Amino acid sequence: MNGDAHVSNLIVPRDQNGMPVPMTESEHIAGLKAALLKDIQRSAYVYRVDCGGCNGCEIEIFSSITPVFDAERFGIKVVASPRHADILLFTGAVTRAMRMPALRAYQAAPDPKITVSYGACGCSGGIFHDLYCVWGGTDKIVPVDVYIPGCPPTPPATLYGFAMALGLLGQKLHATHHVEGEDERSEVGHPGIPYDIRVEVEREARRLAGYRSGRLISDEFLTELQVGGGMPLDECVKRMLSGEDDPRRTEIITRLWDICAGVAKG
Amino acid sequence: MLKLLKIISRAGEATAKYPFAPYPVSPGFRGKPELNAGQCIACAACTTACPANALTMSTDSAAGSRTWSLNLGRCIFCGRCEEVCPTHAIILTPEFELAVGKKSDLLQQATFNLAACAECGEPFVAAKEIAYAADLLVQSGLTLTDAQRALLSVCPACKRKATIERDDISQHLSPEVKP
Repeated sequence: MNGDAHVSNLIVPRDQNGMPVPMTESEHIAGLKAALLKDIQRSAYVYRVDCGGCNGCEIEIFSSITPVFDAERFGIKVVASPRHADILLFTGAVTRAMRMPALRAYQAAPDPKITVSYGACGCSGGIFHDLYCVWGGTDKIVPVDVYIPGCPPTPPATLYGFAMALGLLGQKLHATHHVEGEDERSEVGHPGIPYDIRVEVEREARRLAGYRSGRLISDEFLTELQVGGGMPLDECVKRMLSGEDDPRRTEIITRLWDICAGVAKG
Repeated sequence: MLKLLKIISRAGEATAKYPFAPYPVSPGFRGKPELNAGQCIACAACTTACPANALTMSTDSAAGSRTWSLNLGRCIFCGRCEEVCPTHAIILTPEFELAVGKKSDLLQQATFNLAACAECGEPFVAAKEIAYAADLLVQSGLTLTDAQRALLSVCPACKRKATIERDDISQHLSPEVKP
């Protein structure tokens, strides 16, 4: 085995232990990229590289070039070959099998190129981050300019990400770190309602309407009871039900009413 | 030609105005999970529920603090955290413009103080969680005595030890356990 020749044939840079490291960008190319972004006077062509995704991201990418979101009105076109691309869009968690094809697509694209990491999997491996066959994110193999999180990102989020990659819109999200203050205290929900009733109502609403909507409905119901204050229970619920045109909600609210009435009776 | 133009004008414009005008998301849209840190009791229910491990809780016993962190790059916006949160501290907002240039900007963190056990002095639970538990007991109709309040800030291991020491019968049943 000719060790040196073997190593020089590799397209992936490696550290001194022979472990692959992410590709890097030379300063010259970074300068070219800055110049390109500064006055890009033409369309930006996008090539989509699937590094082992679930196809959810692809569906959203293609729905963002439909007439409803129409990325093409900004000159963003999806092309069929990395040779034509200005922007490389990496989707998927970078599986072991798709790593090499992704690297080859990266190398095939002409410099300067903008790389975008698309979706939760592209950003950090997403829900697949600890799988044995997964590298866990685009930034493990190539330098990334913009991360678009989401599972999958919605078409407007995709448009926003493209606009950010092209330097048209600014970044809105920043890292935050809250540190607990002196007299922070979490409030108990619905303090005017007895605990047992609150739990019973929340439980029943969630059983009937599902976890999320159940909580919304029970919150609304309990707030109404609290606001009603002195009003009799029946009056409160009747007022709630008066403008209701959804029979399912009516049913659920009636059941909650039964619970409260039962507790009130003893 | 005129007929075509007529059809076009009748169909109207389907394209969303999005980057130039705010995009109205549908009701119930699950966007960026926002933690209302004032309401959070650091109980870690959300980190247990999170299927993607985007939410993590790390405890620093030496500093007596517990840090909640959300990696938005890993979040799949399923809303399980909102469902399980007992104090309604996490809400999924309609915020969807989350693209960033630096990966570190995707990290959202909150640090909470831990309460030290009144017996052994080891930090064991967030101070706010003890206060919340006391409030819940009061809401459920109990009047807490000072001794009961003090018992809330004793860690489970110390409580267990105290029970064994107090209880003669348990000592008879397990003679090898000597205080």
